[in-house]
Amino acid sequence: MALLEVNDLRTHFFTREGTVRAVDGVSFAVEKGRTLGIVGESGCGKSVTALSIMGLIPKPPAKIVSGSVVYDGQNLTSLSERKLEDLRGRKIAMIFQDPMTSLNPTLTIGTQITETIRRHYDVPKSQARKKAIELLEEVRIPRASERLDDYPHRFSGGMRQRVMIAIALSCDPKLLIADEPTTALDVTVQASVLDLLDDLRTEHDMAMIIITHDMGVVAEAADDIIVMYAGQVVEHASTLDLFDRPEHPYTEALLGALPQIEGEGIREGRLTAIPGRPPDLIDPPQACRFGPRCPYAGDDSCTQQQPELRELRKGHWVRSAHPASERVGAARREGAPA
Amino acid sequence: MLKFIVRRVFWTIPVLLVVIFLTFMMMRQIGGNPFRQSERAVPEAVQRNLEEKFHVNDPWYLQYAHYVKGVFTFDLGPSLVVRGRDVNDIVRTHFPKSIELGVYAFLFALVIGVPLGMIAALRHNTWVDYSAMFFSNVFHAVPSFLVATLLIYFVALKAGWFPTSGWTTWEHKILPSVALGFGPMALFARLVRGTMLETLQQDYVRTARAKGLRYRRVVGLHVLRNSLIPVVTAAGPLLGFIITGSFVIELIFNIPGIGQSYIDSVSNRDFSVVMGLTVLLSGIVIVANLVVDILYGILDPRTRDARG
Amino acid sequence: MTITDAREALTAEPGASPASGAPIRQSNLWRDAWRRYVRNKAAVVAGTVFVVVLLYCLIAPIASPHDPDAVNFALSSQTPSLEHPFGTDKFGRDLFTRTALGGRVSILIGFGATIAILFIGVVYGAISGFVGGRIDNGLMRFLDALYGLPYLPFAIITLAIIGRTNTWTMMIALSIASWFTTARIVRGQVLTLKENDYVRAAKAVGARWYRILGRHLLPNTLGVLIIAIFLELPGVILGEAFLSFIGLGISPPDPSWGAMAQEGRTVFRSHPTAIIVPSIAIATLVLCANFVADGLRDALDPRTRES
Repeated sequence: MALLEVNDLRTHFFTREGTVRAVDGVSFAVEKGRTLGIVGESGCGKSVTALSIMGLIPKPPAKIVSGSVVYDGQNLTSLSERKLEDLRGRKIAMIFQDPMTSLNPTLTIGTQITETIRRHYDVPKSQARKKAIELLEEVRIPRASERLDDYPHRFSGGMRQRVMIAIALSCDPKLLIADEPTTALDVTVQASVLDLLDDLRTEHDMAMIIITHDMGVVAEAADDIIVMYAGQVVEHASTLDLFDRPEHPYTEALLGALPQIEGEGIREGRLTAIPGRPPDLIDPPQACRFGPRCPYAGDDSCTQQQPELRELRKGHWVRSAHPASERVGAARREGAPA
Repeated sequence: MLKFIVRRVFWTIPVLLVVIFLTFMMMRQIGGNPFRQSERAVPEAVQRNLEEKFHVNDPWYLQYAHYVKGVFTFDLGPSLVVRGRDVNDIVRTHFPKSIELGVYAFLFALVIGVPLGMIAALRHNTWVDYSAMFFSNVFHAVPSFLVATLLIYFVALKAGWFPTSGWTTWEHKILPSVALGFGPMALFARLVRGTMLETLQQDYVRTARAKGLRYRRVVGLHVLRNSLIPVVTAAGPLLGFIITGSFVIELIFNIPGIGQSYIDSVSNRDFSVVMGLTVLLSGIVIVANLVVDILYGILDPRTRDARG
Repeated sequence: MTITDAREALTAEPGASPASGAPIRQSNLWRDAWRRYVRNKAAVVAGTVFVVVLLYCLIAPIASPHDPDAVNFALSSQTPSLEHPFGTDKFGRDLFTRTALGGRVSILIGFGATIAILFIGVVYGAISGFVGGRIDNGLMRFLDALYGLPYLPFAIITLAIIGRTNTWTMMIALSIASWFTTARIVRGQVLTLKENDYVRAAKAVGARWYRILGRHLLPNTLGVLIIAIFLELPGVILGEAFLSFIGLGISPPDPSWGAMAQEGRTVFRSHPTAIIVPSIAIATLVLCANFVADGLRDALDPRTRES
């Protein structure tokens, strides 16, 4: 049984302007010790999915309207807030995008680490502090014992993210959700943080969900990838298979938009951008949501019904009426709609 | 941390000197020789003696220096109109009552205002929030003499629960303190609510919840710490308001505090009393600001390093 | 298409992609602000009431059949009636007319002092912030010292120095006692704006300091200043009210809201209307100014809006 199983999750935001169907039928599984990457553009619902798993969506406007999130046999969507609090940080941990604002500026990082430990374990302060120093060393912060009582503003961006990782690891969770962990960091720092995450993952035998819009990050860090678009999963495959033989037109476009320096299939000249924009999630059309931007969309099923997520080959699911392998021989339509 | 405190304390001294200087110069403008202008006829010889004793004929900077020395030795000089009374006497008899009134008003504002603001923020956009804010706005805008007179009218006269004037038993002290504290209470409530709402949106609150901390702790520690900072900043000037607002309240409730003395001495051109009282009040405001600054430094560690 | 286009297409917010073909509408900052302001119902109501009060103070004394100074003990201390909508005071004068007259004085003092505060504050703050360095430091330390003088006593002493208490002197005294906060705010604004890239760009092409100040820095502080007007106004109006109430401001028989409140105090046990009417007038104006200030703040800086 997988460590985490998300089944047909739907999270909607009830606002004055209408109901935003931010996550509209998302399913995936994460196995113990493996890393799942979730990619997609801003607004596709990847962060909301992560927050829904943790139960951290803002409850007044948002609500998980249907679906289940099963972790280690327990359905999280039916748990009370108190039970969820017991779970967070201890069994599932999460780190966020902006390390500058994600740490409380008025508390020392030592406090912010030890409070997590002492929340989930009944240990005296001194022992928690010792563990905190160990954690800081593990995330490669130099002079850890001296810096324990420093405030966040004394650390650089990259180091703050490491502190966040230390906090996340403090209670030895079996699943770590990383929401755009490197987006706010410099490119050089990104690489070291990703390396760190990888090392820690293997050492602690931890599963990881890494959320990003950067295909490069996910190529390096993930074992399996799901591609999200407009609140739905449009492709799900192992990393190798996704990059080797992408099926969904959106995935192809994402990969086509990547700059390449060398290797096979290097494009001569221009990169392709994807014209158009994602549909309004307040009243999504009853058709394929990617249709308006898809170069292969036909007048048939693409405009009338939503394609189902189907297993095209072993371990590779696609939600499209025109996946690449069914397109062999089919010519690309002239004058694709914008 | 200690260095920060020492630095701040050190800076209050020049501030105090400047304040005394300003007051001094201003009082000289009202000026003239107070002894000659005094209504009581003073014989020439005695007058010359008094002038000698109080350095009236010295150049201004000597007078200033002498006065400063007086301030730091807690000698604020004599009253120039009421013969035989020292400014210190006046202070000793009247000032404690004003301080008491101010403290009670401040406590009332804090104890009612801060929790009110917190509740409004936590129950954001419900009727609790709206009504709390509506009343806060109204009470903040209404001049304290209106609050005072309404309280007296309804609570003291009609209902007869409390006396309407004086300052002896504890019953006497409630209405004036509440009347004076209403405005500040409303301010605190609004401030706390505003900053809490803002703080609740912050990323670090989300992180705290993601760590599994109990909501009580998240609010009580993470949110409150950051929310109280602007409240502390506002508390400083608030003290100034309370001091000056007390003049009006003392008048209405017939409290023999410093307000009455101040008004009287201005009317009587008793320049030494006015100056003494002003310096005293200024000293209090300066000390209050100092305390606020230090508290601010404790609450927000970033400022400790930034301060020059 | 370049790398940036590709990146943009991937990361753009829904609806914002320039490649989508829809033209990006250039919106006027002021028009947007006005629209946001109008959406705030409380602010609109407050603004309307504010204008109504102003009109009342202007028109009522002209339109009223009663002589505001006519003392007539036969009519003294009446409760509100059709003839006298607010009743009469202890001297038999019509309160409806007098309140309007008093309002003229109080509001005039309020606005006058506020404008003076803005003027002093802007000059002081702009110079301090723009020049920077040790002069800025010195000016700010001096300001710190000035903060040590409590508001009312300072105003009282200023009035005593001037010698007379009338509308103009009250304006001067109140503004001198309360320009400090505005100066601080303006200086803060100037400091932040000074670091802005477009200011550096202007300097880089050799623009003179007064041009930078006048063309770039001050217009951007305009929003803050407008808000500052409505924030300072209540303080000044209450200041005048307090001063007149304790007898050190506008004194009877000249009407001002504070002076009328003082007159009403002596009879309030039997005839509370006399003190309640001017007090409510003060409270109304102050409340409206507060709401308008809140509305303006939300309108001019949407980031402060609560979600």
